[in-house]
Amino acid sequence: MPEYDEFAEEEYSSRLDSKTFRRILKLLAPHKSWVIGFLVTIAIVSILDGYFTFLNKKIIDEAIVPRQIDVLNRYVFRYGLLLFLQASGAFTFIYLVATLGERIRYDLRKAMFNHLQDLSLSYYSRTPVGWIMARVTSDSEKVSDMMTWGVLDSTWAVINILTSAVFMLIINWKLALIVLLAIPILLFIAYQFRKRIILQFRTVRKTNSRITASYNESITGVRVIKALGRERDNLAEFSQLTGTMFASSYKAAWLSALFLPMVQIVSSIALGAIIWYGGYQNELGWITIGGIQAFTAYVTFMMWPIQDLARVYAELQHSIASAERIFSLLDASPEIQDRPDALPVDTLLKEIEFDHVDFYYEQDKPVLSDFSLTVKPGEMIALVGPTGGGKSTIINLLCRFYEPKRGTIRFGGVDYTTLKMRAIQSRVGIVLQTPHLFSGSIRDNIRYGSLEATDRQVEDAARLTGAHEFIVHMEKGYDQQVGEGGNQLSVGQKQLVSLARAVLSNPEIFIMDEATSSVDTLTESLIQQGMEELMKGRTSFIIAHRLSTIRRADRIIMIDNGQIAEMGTHSDLLRAEGHYYRLYTQQFRHQAEGQSEILSGEEI
Amino acid sequence: MVNTSELDIRSTISNNRLKGLWNLMAGYRWQYLAANLALGGSALSKTFTYLLLRYFVDDVLTPGVYRLVPLVAAGFVALAVFEGSMTFASGALASRSAEGIARRLRNYLYDHIQHLPFSFHAGTSTGELIERCTSDVDAVRRFFADQAVNVGRVVLLFIINFTALYSLNGKLALTSIIVVPFVVASAIYFFKRINTAYEKYQEQEAVLSTTVQENLTGVRVVKAYARQDFEIGKFETVNETKYRKGRHLMMQHALFWPISDIFCGMQILAGTYMGARMVMANTLSLGSFLAYGGLIVWLIFPLRTLGRMIVQMSTGLVSYSRVAKIIQEDREDLEAGSSPQAGIQGDIQFENVSFQYEVGSPILGDVSFSCSAGQAIALLGSTGSGKTSLVNLLPRFYEVNSGTILLDGKPLPEYSKGFLRSQIGIVEQEPFLFSRTIRENITYGLNRSVSDEEVYQAARSAAIHDVILSFPHGYDTLVGEKGVTLSGGQKQRVTIARTLLKDPRILILDDSTSSVDLETEAVIRSALENLMRGRTTFIIAHRIQTIMTADLILVFDKGAIIQRGTHEQLVAQDGMYQKIYHLQTSIETELEKEVKRARI
Repeated sequence: MPEYDEFAEEEYSSRLDSKTFRRILKLLAPHKSWVIGFLVTIAIVSILDGYFTFLNKKIIDEAIVPRQIDVLNRYVFRYGLLLFLQASGAFTFIYLVATLGERIRYDLRKAMFNHLQDLSLSYYSRTPVGWIMARVTSDSEKVSDMMTWGVLDSTWAVINILTSAVFMLIINWKLALIVLLAIPILLFIAYQFRKRIILQFRTVRKTNSRITASYNESITGVRVIKALGRERDNLAEFSQLTGTMFASSYKAAWLSALFLPMVQIVSSIALGAIIWYGGYQNELGWITIGGIQAFTAYVTFMMWPIQDLARVYAELQHSIASAERIFSLLDASPEIQDRPDALPVDTLLKEIEFDHVDFYYEQDKPVLSDFSLTVKPGEMIALVGPTGGGKSTIINLLCRFYEPKRGTIRFGGVDYTTLKMRAIQSRVGIVLQTPHLFSGSIRDNIRYGSLEATDRQVEDAARLTGAHEFIVHMEKGYDQQVGEGGNQLSVGQKQLVSLARAVLSNPEIFIMDEATSSVDTLTESLIQQGMEELMKGRTSFIIAHRLSTIRRADRIIMIDNGQIAEMGTHSDLLRAEGHYYRLYTQQFRHQAEGQSEILSGEEI
Repeated sequence: MVNTSELDIRSTISNNRLKGLWNLMAGYRWQYLAANLALGGSALSKTFTYLLLRYFVDDVLTPGVYRLVPLVAAGFVALAVFEGSMTFASGALASRSAEGIARRLRNYLYDHIQHLPFSFHAGTSTGELIERCTSDVDAVRRFFADQAVNVGRVVLLFIINFTALYSLNGKLALTSIIVVPFVVASAIYFFKRINTAYEKYQEQEAVLSTTVQENLTGVRVVKAYARQDFEIGKFETVNETKYRKGRHLMMQHALFWPISDIFCGMQILAGTYMGARMVMANTLSLGSFLAYGGLIVWLIFPLRTLGRMIVQMSTGLVSYSRVAKIIQEDREDLEAGSSPQAGIQGDIQFENVSFQYEVGSPILGDVSFSCSAGQAIALLGSTGSGKTSLVNLLPRFYEVNSGTILLDGKPLPEYSKGFLRSQIGIVEQEPFLFSRTIRENITYGLNRSVSDEEVYQAARSAAIHDVILSFPHGYDTLVGEKGVTLSGGQKQRVTIARTLLKDPRILILDDSTSSVDLETEAVIRSALENLMRGRTTFIIAHRIQTIMTADLILVFDKGAIIQRGTHEQLVAQDGMYQKIYHLQTSIETELEKEVKRARI
C-alpha cells in the first residue's frame, strides 16, 4: 500500500547532498568554540600518538645503542611530560565532544517538539506516531553522533595517518612508500566490510522488532489465544521468526568476526614487506634497528585509524538520511496558521455560522458539501447520523483543527480564519469518545483544563460530572496515578475524568463527541441530571446515539452524506417520520414482544 | 519441526546464576570450548610475533645473517594469518553458540508465556514482560557472545604475555605488573559508576519517549485546550534533564580513560626505562627489549576493558535472574482431564461457588444457579460486581475457591482445559484482532482446514462479508497498522465470524455491543442471534433490551446474585432490575408516546 511506503524506515538512498550537508553543519554554528576546542585537542592527542612511536625510535637509536644514559633520561622525561599532556587532552576532548553531542540532541529534540506543537491535525492524521517518535529519538541521536564522535574519529584518524606518514617519510622514504601504498587497499577492504556489516545489522534490527511485536501480540492477545487454543501454531510461527533472527545475527557476527582479521592480514603483508626490504636496507646501513621497530609499530597500529575512517564513512550515509528525515519534519509547514494580523477574541458566545462549507480529507472524497448552519449563542445542538456521515468533521472544523476548503465559518459575523487560533481553542471544551489522559495523577489530568485551578475547583468539577464518586474510592483518591495514556483506568472512568477536565476549563463552547458511551446506566443518569447545569450559558454540540442525551437538545441535526438530512426538535423530527424517526423506533420493534404488554397497558 | 523441545529450560534454572547460565549452554559447550581454544591460539600467535621480532633483531640483524630475512618476513605473515583465522574462528563460534542459546531461550519463553495462567498475566504489565523477553534475553545473549569470551581473552592475553615477558627477564616482568591492581580497581570503580549513570540516562530516555508519545497521541487534547506552551515547558524539563544526565554519564568516561591512560603509560615508560638501562648494562638483549615494548602493551591495555566487562557481566547475571523468574512460574496444564469424544451438551450448574483473586477481597460469594443446554443466561450489574469473573470461571481461566461448577453433571476440573476451551466461544467487549489478514483472523485457532466458502458463510452470518469485499485486498487485507483499520463494530463482527466457525457449545458474550453505534448495534445484534442459536449462552450487558429475552436473568451486586428470574418476573419485582429498567425505558416509553401522539 503506497501510503505506508512513504513512511518506510531507512530507505532513503541519498547521495551526499551538499545542501543537506550544509544544513547539518549549521547545527554546529551556535557551538563553534566547542567544535574548535575539540578539533584542536584531538589533533594534539593524535599527533602525540604518532610522536611517541618516533620517540621510541630515538630512544633506541640515540640512547640505547650508543649507551647514552643522559640522552635516555632526557627522552624519558620528555615522554612522561607528554603523557600527561596527552591525558589532559583526552579528558578535554571527551568532555567537549560528549557535552556537545548531548547539546545537539537536546537542540534537535527541542526544535522538533516545538515545531510539532504548531503542526495541524492533518499532519498527524497522515503521519504515523511511530514515525515521528523515531525522528525525535533515534534520528536525533544518529545525527548528533555523526556531528561529534563521527567528526572526532575521522579527524583523529586522518591526522594519525598523516602524522605517521610524515614520521615514516622522515625515517625512510622508500619503506614509507610501501606502507602508503597499502593504505588505500586497506581502506577499500575496510569500507566494503563495514557497509555489509551495517546492512546486516539492519536486518537484525528489523527482525528484532518483529520478534518484539510478536511477543507483544501474544501477551496482549493471550485471552484470545487461550480461548481459541492456538498455542502450538503460534510457537511454530514464532520459531520461524527466531530462525530468521539466528541466521541474520549469525551472519552479522560472522562478518564482524572476519573484518578485523582481514584488515590485519593485509597489513601483515605490508609488515612482511617492510621486514624483508628493511632487512636489506639495514645491511646497507640505510635504516637503523630503531627505524625498523618504528615501522612495525606504525603498521601494526595503522589499522585502527583505517577502521575508524571506514566506519564513519559507512555510517555517514545513514546519518545524512536521518538528518533529511529530521529536516522534512522541521520543514512541514502548519497548514493552519494564524495570519500575522490575527485578531484577539473576547468571547465566543456569539452566533456561529457555517456558510456554504465544503470539506474533504482526501481529494475526490467530499465529507461535507455546501454545508450551512447557524447556531445561536447558548444553543444546544445534537448531531446524529451514521458513522462517517460528517458529524466529527463539523466538530473538527468548528475547533479549527481543520479549515473549510470552501465557504466560511463565522463567529459573530467575523470569519474565524482572521482570529487567533489559540484564542478560539482555549474557549472550546471538548470531550471525546476515546479520551486521552496523560501520565500523572487524576488531579493533574483534571487540572489540565485550567492550570491555575485550586484543588477545590478540581473536585467541584469532578462532582459535577459524577467522577468524584469513583475517584474517592481509589486507593489514593485524586492522587492516584492514571498510568501511561491513562491505561490504569477503565474507558468509562477515563471519559468521566476528561469530562471533568472540560468542565473545569469553563469553555464557552462545549463539545461532547460520544463522551459517555462507556459509562454505566446509573452513572450516566447522574451526568444527565447535571447536564443542564453543565450547559448553562454555553453553546454546546453533542454527538451521541443515546436518546436520553439527545432529546434535551434545542435542535437535533441529522447529518447524512455531509449534508443536513433533517433538523428540528425531538418532537418535530418524530412527527416528520423521517430517518430520525426510523432510527429511534427500530429499537422498539426489536423488543416489541417483550414490551408490548407494558406499552399497551399504558396506552389504555 | 520446532527444535526447542531439546532442552527443558525450566529444569535448568538455578539459583546459582553462573550455574544456571552454564546449564543454558547445554549442547553448545563444545563449540564454546573450541571458541576459547581458538582465542588462546590467537593470543599465542600475537606473542610469538614479538618473540620473532626479538629473534630478528638479536639473531639476524645484529650478527648480520641477512639471508634469514625473507624467512623472518614470511614468518610474520604466517603468524598474522594464523592469528587472524583463530580470531575469526573464535568470534564465529562464540556468536554461533550465543545466538543458538538465545534462540532456544526466546522460543521457550514465548511458549511459556502462552501457557502461563491468567492470574500471572493479570498481575504483570505487558511492557515489563516484553522487556524481559527482549532486552533481558539480549543481555544474556551478550553475556555468551561478548563478555564471557572477552574476559577469557583478557585473562589469556595476560597469562600468555606475562609468561613470555617472564621468560625474557623475570625482574623486568615482575616490575611491569605493579600497576595492574590499580588499573583493574579503577576500571571496576569507574564502570560501576558509569553503569549507574547509564541506567539513569536510559530511564530518562524512557520518560522522554513517553512524554513525546503522549503528546503526539493526545494532540487533539493539547490543541483543544491550547496547551502547546504548557507541553513545551513540560518537554523542556524532561529534555533538559536528559541533557544533564547524559553529561554526567560522559563525565565519568572523560575521567576514567585519561586516568587509566596515565597509569598504563607510566607503567610502560617505567618498564622502557628499566629495560633500556638493562640493555646498556648488557643484562638484556636489544631484541628482548623491543619484544618487551610490544608485549607490555598487550599485557596492560586489555586490562582496562575488564571493568566494563565485569559490570556488563553483572548486568547479564541480573537479566538472567529476571528471565529465570518468569520461567519458574507454573504453566497451566491443558491436557490433564478428560476430553469426551462425543463432545458436551451444555447443561451448567453453579453450586455455592465462591471466588477471589486475592485473599481477603472476595469477588463472588456463594453463587448458585443452573441452566440447561441451549438456554440463554443474562448477567446484569454494575462494573466490578463480578459478572466477568463469573464467566472467566467457565473456560477455567481461573479456578473456583470453593463450591463446584458442573458441566453436564460432571465437575469442571474433570475436563481438560484444552477441551473445555475448545467448547467455549467468547465475544469480548473490546475485540482483539491480530496483525494478519482478515482470513487468518477468522480462521485463527481452528485446528481443521476450512474452505473459502465456509469462511464466507461465517462472514455473511456475521454481516461482515460485504464490508470485507470492499477492502483493497478483500479477505487478504492485513488488519492493523500495515493494512486497514477496522471500526469497533467491524472488529466485533470479525470476532463473531471467528466464533461461528469455531462452533462452540457454550457461548460467552461479554458486553459485546456497548462500544458501537446504534445502527451497527442493530446489525451486530442480528449476527449475535445467529450465533446464539442452539448454544448455551451467557450474556453480559448493560442494556435491558439486549437481555430481556434471556431464559434466566441474574442481577449481581457485590459478587452475589440479588435477583433472578425472567424479564417479566423481574420487572414486576421491586428491586435493582426494575430501577434500571425504568431508567432506561422511561425515555423510550415517552418516545413511544410521542411517536403515537405525532401520528395522531
